[in-house]
Amino acid sequence: MSGNDRVPVVAEGAWTDDVDEEEGVVVNWFANVGRHVAAGESLCEIQVEKVSVDLTAPVDGELVEIVRDEDEAFTVGDTLAWLQPEE
Amino acid sequence: MPSEETLRALYTDMVTARYYEERLQEEYLEGKQPAFDISAGPIPGELHLAAGQEAAAVGVCHHLREDDVVTAPHRPHHVAIAKGVDLERMTAEIFGRETGLGAGKGGHMHLFDPEVNFACSGIIAEGCPPAVGAGLAAKKRNTDGVAVAYLGEGAIDQGAFLESLNLAAVHDLPVVFVVEDNDWAISMPKERVTDVESAAARAGGFDMPGVQVDRDDAVAVYETAAEAVGRARDRNGPTILAVQVHRRMGHFMGDPQDYRSDEDQEAAMERDSIERMETHLHDHGVDDDAIAEMRDAAHDRVDDAIEWAKAQPKPDPADAYEGVFTNPPSGVTDAEPDFDLAETGGEEP
Amino acid sequence: MTVDRELTMSRAIVEAIGDEMRADDEVFYMGEDVADYGGIFDSTQGLLEEFGYDRIMDVPISETAYLGAAVGAAQQGMRPIAELMFVDFFGVAMDQIYNQMAKNTYMSGGSVSVPMTLTTAVGGTYSDAAQHSQTLYGTFAHLPGMKVVVPSTAYDAKGLMHNAIRDDDPVVYMYHKRLMGLGWLPAPEGPKTPVPEEDYTIPFGRADVKREGADVTVVTLGLHVHRALDAAASLAEEGIDCEVIDLRTLVPLDRETVVDSVRKTGRLVVVDEDYRSFGLTGEIVSTVADEALDALEAVERVAIPDVPIPYARELETEVVPEAADIETAVRTVQ
Repeated sequence: MSGNDRVPVVAEGAWTDDVDEEEGVVVNWFANVGRHVAAGESLCEIQVEKVSVDLTAPVDGELVEIVRDEDEAFTVGDTLAWLQPEE
Repeated sequence: MPSEETLRALYTDMVTARYYEERLQEEYLEGKQPAFDISAGPIPGELHLAAGQEAAAVGVCHHLREDDVVTAPHRPHHVAIAKGVDLERMTAEIFGRETGLGAGKGGHMHLFDPEVNFACSGIIAEGCPPAVGAGLAAKKRNTDGVAVAYLGEGAIDQGAFLESLNLAAVHDLPVVFVVEDNDWAISMPKERVTDVESAAARAGGFDMPGVQVDRDDAVAVYETAAEAVGRARDRNGPTILAVQVHRRMGHFMGDPQDYRSDEDQEAAMERDSIERMETHLHDHGVDDDAIAEMRDAAHDRVDDAIEWAKAQPKPDPADAYEGVFTNPPSGVTDAEPDFDLAETGGEEP
Repeated sequence: MTVDRELTMSRAIVEAIGDEMRADDEVFYMGEDVADYGGIFDSTQGLLEEFGYDRIMDVPISETAYLGAAVGAAQQGMRPIAELMFVDFFGVAMDQIYNQMAKNTYMSGGSVSVPMTLTTAVGGTYSDAAQHSQTLYGTFAHLPGMKVVVPSTAYDAKGLMHNAIRDDDPVVYMYHKRLMGLGWLPAPEGPKTPVPEEDYTIPFGRADVKREGADVTVVTLGLHVHRALDAAASLAEEGIDCEVIDLRTLVPLDRETVVDSVRKTGRLVVVDEDYRSFGLTGEIVSTVADEALDALEAVERVAIPDVPIPYARELETEVVPEAADIETAVRTVQ
């Protein structure tokens, strides 16, 4: 399949308004590439300033690419991983 | 004023407790004479007797049910009797026998009778937190169960007591802290070590009621305890109940009490709560013959229990290694689960 | 089916606790900052929302009272999980722990049980100094009457926690701060593992061979399982094949696995994040001496020396064993 229907896992959410900083760090991945995840499942834990949040799978699908590994930094709004949605 | 039936019940337990302590004193000293060897005789080790403190035990415990929880300190027998502990098995435990409450493993300072929810412990004030825990369980389970922690006036300076007051107060727990004030912490008179006159004064610092019963009178204790226990049962929180008692014997058996003036010892002997109770009974029309009958029955019960205990088998030394845990050492399973775990960074499969 | 969902150790612990609390109303958690904060080391993270302040219970800073209350509630048949925030704080409550919790079953001739779990955070390596960096494995293992477990991975942590809560005996559950997977105290590679979603129990008293090897037996626990595995990876390049045994439980102690391994390798290295003298390393070495003296060719102990743990990074790094120290010890016994 082409990559055009891949769904991004984005470092953004309701918490974005609670922080002033733009930079964050990926603390933990809970799924490896190849895992089938359910919508709403915790995929990773990120930390921005002192706020720790889980990013959850936006859809059912397979985790096909991790863009930012553990301990890597990101900017709020970055894509951290890609999911291939279930048909 | 309690009913005649209640007075009789209070009196019965008081004379049982008094006679029990007197008999244990005899048994204890046997085999330790002439030179006092603490490890010798049928009751080895320490023994702390509560002759003179009966009013504090019966006055509170006669408001309690079997499912109410009582913790007591190292001077526990009168409380145990008032709570309905199995007298024979308690005595067997004191004599270190296999059929004692603790199979001979606990002894006189560590008596447990879960049938009536009684336990005692040898570290000063450390029975207070578990009593608070029992109160916490009652609250969580939404029952009207009550917990009572007994302690001496020497224990009111110990952290465990003070912390327990706060924890009970902040969670409104159904606990009554009964402080038996006999003036003496072994050889230290109260005024040398504590700055407040009455343990009840501690209550103000913890935002709970504190009351003092300042005479050796089981009826006075019974009436005051009705409020404290009732408050707990109605879920209105903890109380400190300070009860003046007197210690007729030494701190522990073998204590020569050199630190105590003759006047103090004599005054103690004069304030006899049992004599006071007999007066109450007379006032209720119970005559001396009836009183003697109760007393004799109590004495027989104690003598029988001691005789029974002394006939019990001694423990098998091999038992010393057993009984540390309830469940097997491995817990609730002894089988390793079998999962197919994916490979991961640092672990060998 | 392959389990490929990974959890940090703290999340695995929380998953087990939440599961048990759902299954049994009599299970509750009490500790300092366990409610809104979710535990200083994430031990109750997310549980308040589901269970409320009654069952995820903040307590006053009075360890004697609340640990003792846990004893009392347990003796009434409830299953409290009580948290000692730092194991170093045991000093203010030790009577309730070692004289009550640990001894009441025995002293009562078995008529009383104390089905509570005492959770506590252990360990250093982040400059928290002498009063906040200890593990005290030896202290708790030495005193009779309490089971003591020390998980080193998320998978072990969940299984041991289920067992601890269900066990009718008092269990001291010691979790290393650096293994929890906290953002502010990063974990090494290793403690985050696949964790099954269903509940499961791991027996106490079973050590786990985390790496099989033929040349030397390395016995350790907690954080140092991972430091030993790092050392083993390095040593493999030198041709030295280490067997790394994760004790997982201190009481009861799996002496058999250790002895069997030394019979195979002849060489023993014990690694401990507790003080050297009168503790765990001595216990393991003497166990082997007792049971397999003929098989033992060489022995090294790697532990914190008999000094309070210092603050400055250079000083703390000097006293807390690192992978390099384990490598040195392994080379010494070759």
